Amino acid sequence: MLYSVRHTTRFQYKLPVSEAITEIRMRPRDSEIQHCNLFRLTLRPQANALSFTDSLGNVVHHFSQPGVHQELQIVAESEVMVSAPPVLPASLDATAWAQNDEAAAAGDHWDMFQPSAYTTSTARLEALARELDVTRRDDPLTVLLALNAAIHRTFAYDATSTQVDSPIDDALLHRRGVCQDFTHIMLALVRNHLRLPARYVSGYLHHRRDDTSADGASHAWLEVFLPGLGWVGFDPTNNILAGERHIQVAIGRDYADVPPTRGVYKGGSGSELSVSVRVRPLHGSGGAAGTADAPLDDGSEPPVYRSTAQALQSSYAQAQQAAAQQQQQQQQQQ
Amino acid sequence: MLDTELSIQSGMPAPFHAYQLDDAYDEMFSSAGRPRDHYKRLFRRLMELTPEELEERQQAADLSFLHQGITFTVYSDTRGTERIFPYDLLPRIISAAEWDTVERGLIQRITALNLFLHDIYHDAQILRDKVVPFDLVYSSKHYRREMRGLDVPHGIYITVVGTDLIRLPDGQFAVLEDNLRVPSGASYMLANRAVMKRVFPGLFRNYGIRPLDFYGQALLTTMRYLAPPASGDPSIVLLSPGVFNSAYFEHTFLARQMGIPLVEGRDLIVHDARVFMRTTSGLRPVNVIYRRIDDDFIDPLVFRKDSMLGVPGLFSAYRKGNVTLANAAGTGVADDKAIYAYVPAIIRYYLGEDAILPNIDTFLCSDSVQCSYVLDNLDSLVVKAVGESGGYGMLVGPHSTAEQREEFRRQIQANPRNFIAQPTINLSRAPCFLEGQVEARHVDLRPYILYGERVTIVPGGLTRVALRRGSLVVNSSQGGGSKDTWVLHE
Repeated sequence: MLYSVRHTTRFQYKLPVSEAITEIRMRPRDSEIQHCNLFRLTLRPQANALSFTDSLGNVVHHFSQPGVHQELQIVAESEVMVSAPPVLPASLDATAWAQNDEAAAAGDHWDMFQPSAYTTSTARLEALARELDVTRRDDPLTVLLALNAAIHRTFAYDATSTQVDSPIDDALLHRRGVCQDFTHIMLALVRNHLRLPARYVSGYLHHRRDDTSADGASHAWLEVFLPGLGWVGFDPTNNILAGERHIQVAIGRDYADVPPTRGVYKGGSGSELSVSVRVRPLHGSGGAAGTADAPLDDGSEPPVYRSTAQALQSSYAQAQQAAAQQQQQQQQQQ
Repeated sequence: MLDTELSIQSGMPAPFHAYQLDDAYDEMFSSAGRPRDHYKRLFRRLMELTPEELEERQQAADLSFLHQGITFTVYSDTRGTERIFPYDLLPRIISAAEWDTVERGLIQRITALNLFLHDIYHDAQILRDKVVPFDLVYSSKHYRREMRGLDVPHGIYITVVGTDLIRLPDGQFAVLEDNLRVPSGASYMLANRAVMKRVFPGLFRNYGIRPLDFYGQALLTTMRYLAPPASGDPSIVLLSPGVFNSAYFEHTFLARQMGIPLVEGRDLIVHDARVFMRTTSGLRPVNVIYRRIDDDFIDPLVFRKDSMLGVPGLFSAYRKGNVTLANAAGTGVADDKAIYAYVPAIIRYYLGEDAILPNIDTFLCSDSVQCSYVLDNLDSLVVKAVGESGGYGMLVGPHSTAEQREEFRRQIQANPRNFIAQPTINLSRAPCFLEGQVEARHVDLRPYILYGERVTIVPGGLTRVALRRGSLVVNSSQGGGSKDTWVLHE
């Protein structure tokens, strides 16, 4: 399936800012089942976008806007071809657990086994693990499919309940969250309780009417490395496997590794962020047209995801004190 | 009288009455009253001088440090004051033959550690070959995933190194710690030498001492060599955390010695992955940064978001090769005290040689068998947190209280990977001038190694002294002082 994606991000600052440096992860990845034919970035204020590929193969663009401005707009447009991933078997052999452990002992995917910033266990997570009985049994694929469904069942999707960077405990307490929460919770359970290597995927979903997650925003899911199958994508928000409708943009240990935008600037006292994402299949690419499969494309403006970024306000004196403390923290190896 | 008893025991002439000799190696004496060859002239000179004359010279030295503003800051001290760096009047002397071994040993070690860093940030062959356990590397808090696949100029990661050496009771030098991030103290080495020349001019001139005042120039040459190829006549700066840092004196001192600007993060700005310095005449490009800031703080976009000391975007310029950082980012993984235990194996792996300078036996708490040994012997071992330096996060078993041991036991059990332990080593002793007489105090040695077009080691280094009687901790933050170190031509 060939898609065109338009991802618009707008930061409106309460006060003018300058010397802004921004890093973005918005270019769809190239992989065995996905190819990004075209990527175009439009920036306002104008800036020279440079890029590099990080150690996980994500393409990161970065740019600087030294001048005074009060609004930053990033429009990332891409055309990306996604093919269906190989069909999975109904289950794996029970020996897959042992095969996984052997690879782990050899050091494969070490990072993806470890608790990371958003996937460190908490008392509430342990309670959930007991409730859902997340333990090794049968074979890894069977357990993962059941877990994918169980998380979908247990948590309500609520775009207003948490922020993209909320700790998992917020979602665990209220049993509601956004796709990042579903993903982080399943990542934590898979790593800590099933001891399988798992990674976070940030990307887009070409939505259908029956999907749980909200259209118009970026999406997140996870991939688990399974013996003989490689990385297999699970989307607990929608209780589906990642397939032809999932467009991979970046992979990491969790959200902290791959936020779509990350920036530092001088001045200002907070900002308002608005994001919209539009994913459209391009004609002539042979998309299925069943009722359930019909893409959500009624010509209306895509919904907009809004949040207020945390205010960075602090007094000059506070800032000075914090700087002095940090100066003292520097180890000089005396 | 205690002093009289001691003098009877030691059989030493004045001013050595209270000089203690036991099973620790003594730098000056092979036995009571018998100085080693390279100490003989100093010994004779000390016999000629009266205690008053020595006292005068000590005062002259102290005044000189005060006037030059040579200070350091002790953070844990509630008085929070800057202090004069305690200087001991008497030099520590190393013979040419001993130095030769030290020099060869350090070059070997630094070469291997640099190859190790390149390897673990590229193919990680040494981990695949199971010479070093992969989880020890990947779990090190100083391992920087951002450095994977990144090439640094000439493959040099560790440009400035300060390796801590101690002498074992048999007189052999051994490595206690590798300092590969931001080793400090070179300024004290230079200041000690300058003061020594002033207070013992005659003795100094005739002793055949190898010079070390070229250090600033050597540092500059090394930094130039590391400049990105396209930078022509490179612009080099020293990046300091600022005036509240304990080593701020050193930053100002070295910048002056090198003749380069001293900057803080706010003086630099990155545009289109290039670094510039703000000057009164506009922005000026920067090609090499001798940074004295931890990795965590150099760029808030990549590392700690709350850093107020770094330069936003700096890492993007570094990644593109537009600016060189010295030392490179991510070198701390190789001076992790748990990795230290593997350095002899690392040397063998890359160079096919045995380590010239031995390690101290090290028990890794990450290993459950070794950990239980450590927990059973806390009263005799020295326990260290793996990522710390400067004598912080350390337990000296024989000098600890039961309470301190319980505290460490709790910490070790909570996070075993974070601790190692070593037997308590009786460091060698050197003569120090204290309260009117010469007494023996424990010392170590930190030579400074510069890795540029070639490896340069300043002959000598910083000899640190545990000034408190019986103390084995030489760190300036823990009540240590220093003395000038003479390496002889012959």
